[in-house]
Amino acid sequence: MHIVDGALSTEVLIGGAAITTVGLGLGLKKLNIENIPTAGVLSASFFIASLIHVPLGPSSVHLILSGLAGLVLGWAAFPALFVGLLLQAVFFGFGGLTVLGVNAVNIALPAVIVYFICRRGVLSENRTVAALWGAFGGGLAIALTTVFVAISLALTGDEFFEAVKLVLFAHVPVMIIEGVLSGMAVLLIHRVKPDLFQVATRAV
Amino acid sequence: MFKYIKKNLAVTALAATLSVAVVVPAHAHKVLADAYASGDMIEGEVGFSNGDMAKNVRIEIVDVDGNPLGEAQTDEDGIFFFKPTQMVEHVFRADLGAGHVAEFSVAVEDLPEINGQTMPVTATSSSVTQTLTASSGQAVVAAQVSSADIRSIRQEMKLLRKEIAAYKEKNDFQTILGGLGYIFGLCGLYLFFLARKEKKSVTKG
Repeated sequence: MHIVDGALSTEVLIGGAAITTVGLGLGLKKLNIENIPTAGVLSASFFIASLIHVPLGPSSVHLILSGLAGLVLGWAAFPALFVGLLLQAVFFGFGGLTVLGVNAVNIALPAVIVYFICRRGVLSENRTVAALWGAFGGGLAIALTTVFVAISLALTGDEFFEAVKLVLFAHVPVMIIEGVLSGMAVLLIHRVKPDLFQVATRAV
Repeated sequence: MFKYIKKNLAVTALAATLSVAVVVPAHAHKVLADAYASGDMIEGEVGFSNGDMAKNVRIEIVDVDGNPLGEAQTDEDGIFFFKPTQMVEHVFRADLGAGHVAEFSVAVEDLPEINGQTMPVTATSSSVTQTLTASSGQAVVAAQVSSADIRSIRQEMKLLRKEIAAYKEKNDFQTILGGLGYIFGLCGLYLFFLARKEKKSVTKG
């Protein structure tokens, strides 16, 4: 899902960097003493999840966990995922430093969108309803990311529908796995620590 | 307050570990590409870091200024051949789709011999070797290296090259731990700044 250096035009790179700067600013404002540790743990799990590949049919896929980060952190997911991406680029050569802005938008913005769409559902008193919303959010984050990746490639010249088809269909299994795991995580959080979801909205 | 943070942290960590524990480690998905002289041709390889080779991909070949020099196509094993005709640096570009792009090059001094014409540096160094071997009486042995030997040497070199590429792609446990260290360090740093800010506002108020 990471786009590599040299695949995108300069305009797209600058656009991505600009949106990322705004997202980082908004996200850092939402970070407070209470949710920094949570952000750190989610950032770390995102950093590691991309290294763990699940063999699936002829290819292999890896988890992204951006949906879960979005649900728990809201805007604060932006800096958390950005740090993960930065370290992946530096240590493992995933993506690259020039495309970091675009990759951050493609992965973190869906997380924030998921937060706004699913948070009411996740806060539901009914555990099953909450878990289903969590699962939906987990899958939705990946779906949105694939569409964003396709848009970035299309803006550079690739045929949009070709790109969407390629990336979206390749990630259907990830969406399902990610959905199931996010649902389970929401269920666990509900059972053990229900107010974790409120931390993101609490005033600084 | 700190009790609160601790509980928060433990639950998130547990949820995250649960999600990660279900799956097994493997290679990352990155484009790997390399090209090298092979006889009078340039041989190259394009593939993904998970071991899949890039089949039937068009390779565009340009010089450093972007002027086209030709193109090539990878075969079923992700291997392509190109016969260079100019003594300039060759830049190879492969677009594997979906944001996977590889760009790699062969420098002038690494080019194979073109129509008997090589770089002056190579020419002098090889003539020096020739005189050396001749004077030590080993020239006969050198001449006996058959093309079959060269082929098997190339085969072995290819295996070595693959192994080195795989080694480069290996994600060390230390690197992963280092990354985690950075993340927690950044968290600590930010917490420190926030705490200082809070302290200041308390003393002012």
